[in-house]
Amino acid sequence: MPRPVSTPRLGRLARSLVLCVAVCAATAASALDAGAAAPELNLPGLSDAVNLAALKGKVVYVDFWASWCGPCKQSFPFMNDLQARYRSDGLEIVAINVDAKRGDADRFLADVPARFAIAFDAKGETARRFDVKAMPSSVLIDRTGKVVAMHKGFRDEDRKELELRIAQALAAK
Amino acid sequence: MSRPLRFVRSAFAALLAAGACSGCAFNPPQPWEKGNLARQEMTMGGDPLDQRFVQHIYGSKENASGGYGVGGGGCGCN
Amino acid sequence: MAATERSDRAGAIIAAALALPGVCAHAENAPEHGVVAVKYLHYQDSQPGLQRIRVEAPSLYVLAPLGSRWSVEGSAVYDSVSGATPRYHTAISGATPHMTEERKAGDVKVTRYNERSSFGVGVSHSSERDYKSTAGSFEAGFTSDDGNRTWNFGLGYASDTIGSTNDATLHESRRTAEAQVGVTQAWSANDLFQLNLTYVGGRGYFSDPYKEPDIRPRKRDEAIVLVRWNHYFDGAGATLRSAYRFYRDSFRINAHTLGAEWVQQVGSMVTVTPSVRLYTQSAASFYFDPVYDPDVGAPYPPGYFTNPPQYISPDQRLSAFGAVTVGLKLGVQITPDWTTDLKAEHYEQRGSWRVGGTGSPGLDPFRATFVQVGVAKRF
Repeated sequence: MPRPVSTPRLGRLARSLVLCVAVCAATAASALDAGAAAPELNLPGLSDAVNLAALKGKVVYVDFWASWCGPCKQSFPFMNDLQARYRSDGLEIVAINVDAKRGDADRFLADVPARFAIAFDAKGETARRFDVKAMPSSVLIDRTGKVVAMHKGFRDEDRKELELRIAQALAAK
Repeated sequence: MSRPLRFVRSAFAALLAAGACSGCAFNPPQPWEKGNLARQEMTMGGDPLDQRFVQHIYGSKENASGGYGVGGGGCGCN
Repeated sequence: MAATERSDRAGAIIAAALALPGVCAHAENAPEHGVVAVKYLHYQDSQPGLQRIRVEAPSLYVLAPLGSRWSVEGSAVYDSVSGATPRYHTAISGATPHMTEERKAGDVKVTRYNERSSFGVGVSHSSERDYKSTAGSFEAGFTSDDGNRTWNFGLGYASDTIGSTNDATLHESRRTAEAQVGVTQAWSANDLFQLNLTYVGGRGYFSDPYKEPDIRPRKRDEAIVLVRWNHYFDGAGATLRSAYRFYRDSFRINAHTLGAEWVQQVGSMVTVTPSVRLYTQSAASFYFDPVYDPDVGAPYPPGYFTNPPQYISPDQRLSAFGAVTVGLKLGVQITPDWTTDLKAEHYEQRGSWRVGGTGSPGLDPFRATFVQVGVAKRF
């Protein structure tokens, strides 16, 4: 942690900036390196609970989304498509909602249909465990429960690469 | 007080006043906590045509103008 | 605005580089949606006994994302200006010239978005019969990894030519350069702060050819500090937007601006936004009060011909005064893609309302009412 160069009258703003640098430095190391075991995931869903441990043997694509996040609207049709085409190969998509208010998530889902599992993480504890750095974020987990890759954001041109990684994870023994 | 010092004092007082309110502790949000910052009315710039009209009106009736500029920061999608 | 009271402001270069609308006003996001908006302004100002300037102005704004990494944005406005302004101080006379004027202005900006940075280039142009301005700007934004802090840098340059319908031989010009540094910080999940520092240097003609006597320095340097704060009140479903600006220039004018608006959500479709703005400024060092030479008479100050001053102006805009604006805006989200808005504001400026000193005496209060109505479509 950097030592602040201080005078007795170091302003509140300067102290805050130093604090921010310290916080940012502390969180720079990612808890989700490729090959690490995926963090615990056990959340309420639309009807049943969603538990990552119970999904071992499947390739799991975890996506963190929120009603206020524009790119999420575009990622849902993409995920619907992936889930339909690769379900029989063992792909399970779990989309974790991080809205503080459940009503916002419900309104989004009424507008944008989801044909994959939805889980609710209103307090953001699972998002924190997965070291989410951007919205949306997706984490690909292989059949043994290890993290393959984490992807920040969602743009049109990301689709090809994301689908390729999923196909490779499904093909791996 | 000399003019430069008054200048600094004004800006700093504004910053302190803003930061001193209760419930405004410096606590930058996590990426999943930015729902409220994403609201339309939370952007710094505001309505583009409204701002153009209003800045032009004030610029022609008062001596001070400018100082605004790009908004941004804090929302974090993509 | 009247040719005599135009906004001769290069800061408009960077001011026109406004935050993009859209869900996340983030330096590094290309907007997800395009926008087309039109807005109409009706403006009328007055002083006791004289309707002064009236403006009718339609305007258009377009924002178009180009792929996921580029956007282009532009606006155009056409002002119809008519009315009269005093030749000196707030003096009304038969000689107060009545005029009609048109002003056309437009601007275009192209922005490139990278992972954690963005770059924009813009041009703008404004023309009236006796005043033309062309400006260019460049901006860069850099965002921290956690997305909570963005640094902005901007440069602007403007070149103006000034003429006069009263004097066909007047061909003057001025150049202005501007630099701005700013930081925007997500202070908490409900707070956004911004601090901008701007420096402007102008060289050339700053006098008003329609005011008499009016000789201003051929140089004007300005320093501006702007602090903005947006706070969301979860319980009320409302946002408080406030701003404080300190301005000072080499004409020895110090000005403070304090503004606040309360954006209140009412139901799912309507927002109501009351606003208030307080302004105060000191007088320019070469402004003179309406006290005239006993022999020569108005508009000349005592001793004007025996001991001519280097710089002088009777322009109300350079006097010491305070001003208050109150406004109310109504916004309706008709469908997810269509919004409409209506805003009315009333402005009053008086010498006696100056804060932190004595206001300039002998000037009539100045009032203005302006109304804007607009429609926007997202696509």
